[in-house]
Amino acid sequence: MRNSAKHQWIYAWLLLSPAMIFLITFTHYPAVQTIISSFFSTGRGRRKSVFIGWDNYDTLLLDEVFWKVLVNNFWYAVWTIPLSIILSLAMALWVNDKLRGRSFLRMAYFTPTVLPLIAVANIWLFFYTPGFGLIDQIRGLFGFAEQNWMGSPDTALYSMIAVAIWKEAGFFMIFYLAALQTIPPSLREAASIEGASKFYYFRRVAFPLLMPTTLFVSINAVINSFRLVDHIFVMTEGGPNNSSSLLLFYIYEVAFDYWDTAYAATLTVVMLVILTTVAIGQFFFLDKKVHYK
Amino acid sequence: MSGAEVTLKNIFKSWNESPALNDISLDVPAGKFTALLGPSGCGKSTALRIVSGLEEPTSGQVFIGGHDVTHTLPAARDIAMVFQSYALFPHLTVAENIVFGLRVRGLVRKQRDEKLKATAQLLGLSELLDRKPSQLSGGQQQRVALGRAIVADKSIFLMDEPLSNLDAKLRAEMRDEIRALQHRLGVTMLYVTHDQVEAVTMADQVVLMNHGRVEQMASPRVMYETPATLFAAKFIGTPPMVTFSPKLLSHCLTPNFLQKSHGLTFGIRPESLSLSDNGLINGTVRNVEYLGADTLIECKVGEEILLCRAPGWTQLTEGTPISLAFNVKDLHVFNTASGQRTAEMLPEIEMALSSQNASSKLAR
Repeated sequence: MRNSAKHQWIYAWLLLSPAMIFLITFTHYPAVQTIISSFFSTGRGRRKSVFIGWDNYDTLLLDEVFWKVLVNNFWYAVWTIPLSIILSLAMALWVNDKLRGRSFLRMAYFTPTVLPLIAVANIWLFFYTPGFGLIDQIRGLFGFAEQNWMGSPDTALYSMIAVAIWKEAGFFMIFYLAALQTIPPSLREAASIEGASKFYYFRRVAFPLLMPTTLFVSINAVINSFRLVDHIFVMTEGGPNNSSSLLLFYIYEVAFDYWDTAYAATLTVVMLVILTTVAIGQFFFLDKKVHYK
Repeated sequence: MSGAEVTLKNIFKSWNESPALNDISLDVPAGKFTALLGPSGCGKSTALRIVSGLEEPTSGQVFIGGHDVTHTLPAARDIAMVFQSYALFPHLTVAENIVFGLRVRGLVRKQRDEKLKATAQLLGLSELLDRKPSQLSGGQQQRVALGRAIVADKSIFLMDEPLSNLDAKLRAEMRDEIRALQHRLGVTMLYVTHDQVEAVTMADQVVLMNHGRVEQMASPRVMYETPATLFAAKFIGTPPMVTFSPKLLSHCLTPNFLQKSHGLTFGIRPESLSLSDNGLINGTVRNVEYLGADTLIECKVGEEILLCRAPGWTQLTEGTPISLAFNVKDLHVFNTASGQRTAEMLPEIEMALSSQNASSKLAR
């Protein structure tokens, strides 16, 4: 009896270990190491890295660029998260209806997800080009002046936000579409017999039933709002004057352009704390309102 | 609350060329219980959905209470509907499910609560109002669906196979309950079912459908006693009517008569056949099914199989030769090609057979 119980333990560990080895090597160990690194100085040449306590964090508090990218990232999140969710839901509702060319529309909406963000950025680079870019050409038809979308500090960040929403919405739409198709059509019919309008049905029935998906999608959207920075490398490199720089982009700059790895680790800790807090908060706050089948 | 009559006039419905309903006309009298009966795929659910307005007919008209509602929205048709799957909102409590429609219509809270209380009491749901549908049994969910229909105060109830997801015992209970409810509320009921027992026991009027057409529209008694078509004869009754070719009676009919009766099919109910010492039909016992009160005897006569419902105490073994008698009045005659009931030749048949009966009695 004891023997077989022991065997089961061994099996369990054997089965778990491949995934666990990878998780520890590439996720947990680096995370812990990052936290440790943030309390050390960056080693350069013969100067070895030494323990400096909270010094890196003091620097961080006084770093104007850090505050700038944090504020940027805040606005980036504030716009991309709700807009991409609302847009994806609207698209899903639309292509879930019976309409002509439905499968073509679904595919069209999903295409941005399939494209690499670097490629997407190049397409948008053309859209934004002052003068002969697509947007300015259309604006020109109505007599508007040229606009340097990515070159002006006022519009650079919002140009990046638009690309991110465009990229994300199709991906989230797929989740909403899948969820919508699990709602039996008889609910819609029962509601229409009771005289419920389309909007009333959506508000009282469909949307509450989509809550598990909304929770999942919103957590993903939050993570993406910190993670999706590829297009910034291609389009603005954070400029002008850091107006379109985000936290992760700044971390990359500090770590691999300036080679200040300890400070980059400190910035990373900040990002980890933000993401963890938001994810946990979201989970506990929204989970209460979610009806799981 | 009182019912309103429903009339369908020349309804056609087809999906991509394939016809689902083919010239359906029917009358559902006010305040009565009408069952739409038929095998699956016969179009009965489509007909119900056209009455509800969830589906529009390809052509034809729908009247409710004398008004043409063919293009009216479901909510404006004075109907309530119970779905086969119940269509309860899974995230709402029983109470919220029941008053869903009242809230849509903006009824004030006080009135809503009163109606909810009355309905819940009527259906024995008072204890369950705070539960979610997933925490209820099938029968309880069914009651909630009924509650949602009742609380709406509509004059027509449409039900789409509401009992098909319940077990046999519960189904029998709910059958009585729904019937009693319809009486009590006085609503017009249009009830779709594929179960002929349900239709016959519950309905005032049965509409039998097959292949998108109405086969017969009559009271259960009339439909059982004088089925209008071969299909009706074979669909109604447990076990259904047995049909056979007139040749089976060749020994007691003249050759001339047999020739004339070519193209006819005879039918007889199992309970109309009785064991006799020298009946008109002679065969051998092929199988005996003991049902308690009755015994069903499968009897092989020539190439055909007849069914006879004998008293439960009858004991017979396979292979025993038996003789079956019947009253000529219980014989049903159909035209084989059209499937229609026919009265042609009926007097001749009666005469031929009753003289035979008399002579066989005489011989005894």
